[in-house]
Amino acid sequence: MKNFLKNNGLWILFAGAVISVALALMSYFSTTSAPLVNAVNVMVSPFRSAYTAVATWFNDKQNYYRDTTNLLEENAALRKRIAQLEADLRQAEDDRKENETLRDALELRKQRRELELESAMITERSVTNWTSSLTLNKGTSHGVESGDAVIDGTGGLVGVVREVGLNWCTVLTVVDTDTSLGAQVFRTKDLAIAAGNFSLMEQGRLRLELLPAGCQLLPGDLVQTSGLGDYYPSGLVIGTVEEILVDDSGAASYAILTPAADLSSLTEVFVIKSFDVVT
Amino acid sequence: MLARNETIFKWFLYAAAAVACLAAQGAVLQRITLWGVIPFLCPLLAAIPATWESPAAGTAFALAVGIACDLLLPAPIPCFYTLIFPLAGLFASLLSHSILRPGFLCSLAAAAMAFALTDGFACFVLWSRGKAAWEAGASVALREFCVTAPWIIPVTLLFRAVFRRTHPDD
Repeated sequence: MKNFLKNNGLWILFAGAVISVALALMSYFSTTSAPLVNAVNVMVSPFRSAYTAVATWFNDKQNYYRDTTNLLEENAALRKRIAQLEADLRQAEDDRKENETLRDALELRKQRRELELESAMITERSVTNWTSSLTLNKGTSHGVESGDAVIDGTGGLVGVVREVGLNWCTVLTVVDTDTSLGAQVFRTKDLAIAAGNFSLMEQGRLRLELLPAGCQLLPGDLVQTSGLGDYYPSGLVIGTVEEILVDDSGAASYAILTPAADLSSLTEVFVIKSFDVVT
Repeated sequence: MLARNETIFKWFLYAAAAVACLAAQGAVLQRITLWGVIPFLCPLLAAIPATWESPAAGTAFALAVGIACDLLLPAPIPCFYTLIFPLAGLFASLLSHSILRPGFLCSLAAAAMAFALTDGFACFVLWSRGKAAWEAGASVALREFCVTAPWIIPVTLLFRAVFRRTHPDD
């Protein structure tokens, strides 16, 4: 080997130099990629294609399985939704006709409710295990008063202001045991009381009590504030009916409600400083 | 018998220790949920210092803690903590003067008693409003005590340090 390099070293060096110069010139004048880079990539290209194909096959199978599962679930949900919408549509049509008749008969003007809102940030959450409360960064200096209703960005009722200071206020959420609200079932128009219950508070739910006899509630029914007594605006969504149960005496039924507002993930809320019902 | 300025200094240190615990509660503990509940130091602040003091002094300190808690925390009724914490302080002090010597075991027993009184009173208030929840209340009380129990050690060490600092002869 030593002799070979001794005899031919200069030629090898010369050949290497010529090849290098040639590659350099080709790279310089090439408009695509350098020849060496090109050659290497041409060689590895089939391997790339192979493992990409395998990966794509696995991804396709995975996506197919996921899409099929999702489509089945979505299909079932959509069928249910269509049935519900058709029922709602029929009900809405009946309501519209009835509404028109009543408005015409009583010459009622369209109701308009004006809410004066104050946005507030949540600075503290429940501080004991026996209450469900929020502390907000707005107080009397912003016009907030005790008893004001608090809603989230979607209009779901969060709670009611319990205590208020200069630049803070404490809100008892709808699931707190001290909360009691006049409620109305949107579908049936039945009036009831939505009240916090300690056993349900930990689960973030509340009870719909004092339901009228013969009330035909269904899971999923929307429950909103009744507005009776003008303590709170009407039409604020309290939550939806989760299940209907009979109390210990067996004489009266009550419903478990899931609040419309996601109390655990709220960061910003709106205090209803004043509202007006113009008739 | 402590001199007047020594007495003032002692209660100043007790108050500072209680404020430190309340700050820890507000800044850290109430953001930690374990077993569905948050650790709650306030009953410890009413009971543990009382184990080192006479019944009258322990009750008075627990009353002050109760007033502070009522000012800071929402409660089922106004003066909830002001009503129940002095009782917890009195029982804790009587316990340490008659059955157990002040220390970790005594603090544990006093804390258990304070939680039983506080949470029992909360259940009673719910019951009096027609919203009885004895079972759910007992479950929350048990979990609350279990989650708070580890904090008995640092709180006891803190108040014992205050007591030893202000009573070098005992």
